[in-house]
Amino acid sequence: MANKRDFQRLDEYTWELPKGHRDDMRVPVRLYADSELFDAAFGDRTVEQLINTSTLPGIVKYAMALPDMHQGYGFPIGGVAAIDASSGVISPGGVGYDINCGVRLLASNLDWEEVEPFRDDLMSALYQSCPSGLGGDGRVRVNKRELDQLLSDGASWALKQGLARQEDVEHTEERGRLPGADPSKVGQRAKERGLSQVGSLGSGNHFLELDVVTSVYDADAADAFGLREGQIVVQIHCGSRGFGHQVCDDYVKNLQSAVNKYNINLPNRQLVCAPIESPEGQAYYGAMACAVNYAFVNRQVLAMGAREAFERVLAGKVRDFDLRQIYDVAHNIAKFEEHQVNGKSTRLCIHRKGATRCFPPDHEAVPADYRDVGQPVLVPGSMGTASYVLVGQQKAMELTFGSTCHGAGRTMSRTSARKKVWGHDLRDELEASGIAVRASSMKGLAEEAPLAYKDVSRVVETVHGMGIANKVARLEPLGVMKG
Amino acid sequence: MRENRFEEVEHTADIAIRVWGADLAELFANAAYGMACQLTEVEDVELGTTEQIDLRAPDVEMLLVNWLSELLYLGEREDVAFVDFDLSEVTPHTLQAVVRGGPISEHRVHIKAVTFSQLNIVKTDQGYETIVVFDV
Repeated sequence: MANKRDFQRLDEYTWELPKGHRDDMRVPVRLYADSELFDAAFGDRTVEQLINTSTLPGIVKYAMALPDMHQGYGFPIGGVAAIDASSGVISPGGVGYDINCGVRLLASNLDWEEVEPFRDDLMSALYQSCPSGLGGDGRVRVNKRELDQLLSDGASWALKQGLARQEDVEHTEERGRLPGADPSKVGQRAKERGLSQVGSLGSGNHFLELDVVTSVYDADAADAFGLREGQIVVQIHCGSRGFGHQVCDDYVKNLQSAVNKYNINLPNRQLVCAPIESPEGQAYYGAMACAVNYAFVNRQVLAMGAREAFERVLAGKVRDFDLRQIYDVAHNIAKFEEHQVNGKSTRLCIHRKGATRCFPPDHEAVPADYRDVGQPVLVPGSMGTASYVLVGQQKAMELTFGSTCHGAGRTMSRTSARKKVWGHDLRDELEASGIAVRASSMKGLAEEAPLAYKDVSRVVETVHGMGIANKVARLEPLGVMKG
Repeated sequence: MRENRFEEVEHTADIAIRVWGADLAELFANAAYGMACQLTEVEDVELGTTEQIDLRAPDVEMLLVNWLSELLYLGEREDVAFVDFDLSEVTPHTLQAVVRGGPISEHRVHIKAVTFSQLNIVKTDQGYETIVVFDV
């Protein structure tokens, strides 16, 4: 077990464990955190899991965790691993079960004063238009043939079906379609689960929020994104639902035999992986990309649901009820990107598990209308607290393979949260502080209580201080909808 | 002999249980029961649905993951929780069981998957024991 003394502090936010710490480490381990968040990392198995990650074949530079890190299974949450695309491995454990869990931000042209009289009606309409909770069906049901198209084409499929606008697609990571999706690599169970859940929020930490912009820190970036103080916005946080869970589940099992076949030594079975160029690795990538596309479509269809709710409640009552998409980011994903390694441009498979891409200004993957300022990054806080919009910076390309934090990060187990907080009390508290709550389960609400999470502001100050992603705006909730 | 069939173990983000049994059949039944207790109030489940499960796996840990995953999958498909487990045969590679369950009146949590994290079936003086971590 590594302890704090084994780490060298390289600067205010960088803590490094040399690769000699354990014989099987291939690269050093880095934690990016201020001193308090660094200390917090030793409260669970985060560090051990990151050391395990550093043993993966082909990993380059270092295995790293961002300031919202916490214990996961296999990889820690908040972890980033860059693996050489020609000689390395791909790991379903480095993406997680909720493949392409992510966040979408929609902006209205309305101020809080205009929406306030309709807030409760709006929350009820959002609750009706955006299905949530366990096992619930989504807004759209597809047949098997349509599902295969959706999996291959992602947001382009939604556009053809009239479920998206062109600008929604432009303002989505990868334009809502990860290339290389291969529906023939997806098992029947995953497809069966995928048919009915397109356009559903699910449960757990997923949510839909009505927020107001309370601060703007970077006027140029906020202007480029179309954000201003007092503005009403909507955040949608969810992923690939049962489809993605089943894909991960199937491949965690399928790849167990590949580990033996390719003589890979793993300290933990949940890190199961296969060489990227092997048939097994290619099959996982093809199926994972399908789940990525499923999640992009899922959030897209929910965005249309939010627009429908706004229209139903606000048409004829306010000057403009439209919702414009600011951006959509993934935070559980593996994808191929070019990065500089030892001065050479190298093709890498970047695993981001509970981490967000944050590309800098002038990067070709940033939408044209944002390219002068950089890619928007959406960092949701815990329920009832603040969320942030950040913008990617060049420093991220040097330090974190163009990655930053994804949220607050948990510090307390769900069981402990349930013991400390009653869902009904929490709802009353949130309502008393001016936040409307719609939730299908009070226990589920209690598990997501803010006291179970780190302070998102501290996490955001750290990545801002590191210079990898700068603060653009702060959002505070007016209404929360939980599955 | 321990009184309970399982206990919850602290995990920052997910749910973990420690589970034990005098033999593999009891270990597997108790793990399934511990999982059901995360999904719903098991006392409230009225038995109505019966399924037969027949599994093979290369090793005993994978067999346990497959067993619990199968129960999750069948349960989600039928919107039921399985709470009664009759395991007629369990070897480290094979399993045959008849399971019974019923509709869930109130969901507790949604389990996305059964993981291999911390999973290690060990022999103890009383039989077998392991931790199972569920992704929620």
